[in-house]
Amino acid sequence: MRLPLKSLLVSVLAATTLVSVAHADQLADIKKKGEIVVGVLGTDEPNSFVDPKSREIVGYEVDLANAIARKIGVKATFKQIAVAARIPELQQGRVDLLAASLTHNKEREAQIDFSLTTFVTGQKVMVKASSGIADVPQLAGKKVLTVKGGTQEENVRKAVPSVDVVTFETTQQAFQALQQGKGAGYVNDEATLVNDIAKLGPAKKDYKILPTNLSTEPLALGIRKNEPALKKVVDDTLAELEKSGEADKIFMKWYGPTTKLQFDKRSFKIDSDKI
Amino acid sequence: MPGFDLQLLLHGQYHEWLVAGLRVSLELFALTIACALPLAVVVALLRLSPWRALQGLGATYVEVVRNVPLIAHLLFWYFGAPELLPDAVKQKLYAGNYEFIAAAIGLTLYAAAFMAENIRSGIRAIPAVQFEAARALGLGFLPAMRRVVLPQALRVTVPPLLSQTVILWNDTSIATVIGVAELMYQAARVESAAFRSAEAFGFVTACYLAGSLALTAIAAWIHRRWPVRTL
Repeated sequence: MRLPLKSLLVSVLAATTLVSVAHADQLADIKKKGEIVVGVLGTDEPNSFVDPKSREIVGYEVDLANAIARKIGVKATFKQIAVAARIPELQQGRVDLLAASLTHNKEREAQIDFSLTTFVTGQKVMVKASSGIADVPQLAGKKVLTVKGGTQEENVRKAVPSVDVVTFETTQQAFQALQQGKGAGYVNDEATLVNDIAKLGPAKKDYKILPTNLSTEPLALGIRKNEPALKKVVDDTLAELEKSGEADKIFMKWYGPTTKLQFDKRSFKIDSDKI
Repeated sequence: MPGFDLQLLLHGQYHEWLVAGLRVSLELFALTIACALPLAVVVALLRLSPWRALQGLGATYVEVVRNVPLIAHLLFWYFGAPELLPDAVKQKLYAGNYEFIAAAIGLTLYAAAFMAENIRSGIRAIPAVQFEAARALGLGFLPAMRRVVLPQALRVTVPPLLSQTVILWNDTSIATVIGVAELMYQAARVESAAFRSAEAFGFVTACYLAGSLALTAIAAWIHRRWPVRTL
């Protein structure tokens, strides 16, 4: 029984590899079909979210992706995907580009390529103010909540090895579970936490974000492996946005003082794809 | 794409995660089936009882539960229902493993609705004269059911109950949406940590398949050991 199963798997894997080799140049394919399919979360304000008025997906990463589409001369089509589905969707060719609050880390470099870093955030933990937890070490032995498929679980376990982690399909569910008291903390990118707290209205005084960063997360756009032409046009577009000052304007539009996030300045530059 | 790494499933951290997931899946299944079967018998008897009000109660339960998807049940029992409880009770519940409890409640109530219908059909398959004869001999409703009808009905019910049990085993995977660390949940965790989707989901598939085949074997044995005997 063992051999046939193994050889079957090998042939399936070989077939998969052949399919991915068949698309030699993705950029040419994108130009041919006249659209670039961009995988976004659509649930992560302000990176990508559904605008309640226009019902369109908008946001910081959406603006960056639109600039790239304009540069290539095609239309950008946005496809909403789940956090855990991001890398598989890209690898299997169902999206051409990921603009989905994607952390650039060493482990993932073996799977996909990354653009220049488009955002830098830290992961932090939100707790209820009444919990008496002052900083991250006090989470030892407690239950924390977060989303499946990201780097959050790994980072909080690294910071507090004895922590108990429960993960959900979306960040909203994890935040909801915190509000209901189902865990002591909720782990996410700082920008998302700030935005989540801002949504609470008057109840926001009941929550606080612990000061210590669990990690520094460089976010970048995800590109399939070995697509140098596409990576070049993506990086060139981002570098031009940085040079012209447009990147700063886009940042201020979504993260600046007039937004819920209220960042007064940008603490990073889009100039490197090294981490 | 890297090859299939069997070693990853046999030793080490990912092996431990997946085995822990399998244990939770089995616990969830065992607890659910142990609660769902008796509940299903009760609901089936409600629907067959001589009193209108009880019939209505049984029918309402079955229709309300059966016509809403399982995922909605689980989300309701995890996020919705406990919020109606007083704060003190809530805090006690949440301090424990409420994810598991909510999944067990949701799955039990859901499976019982389907199983009740299987058992009810089984009871109706026993000729009514047997029940009437038992009553004529002086047995009440419940003793007549317990001593005469149910022993025969449950034998008839084995095949449909088995499919329901297999469905229940596979349905435990939905508990991942409310954060129960069962097989599916741990496979997703291995996938995000190591990008070994083929290995993780291969393991999960083998577990569900093996569990379902084992249930089928048990049912075949029960069917031989206690064959259908009715007039």
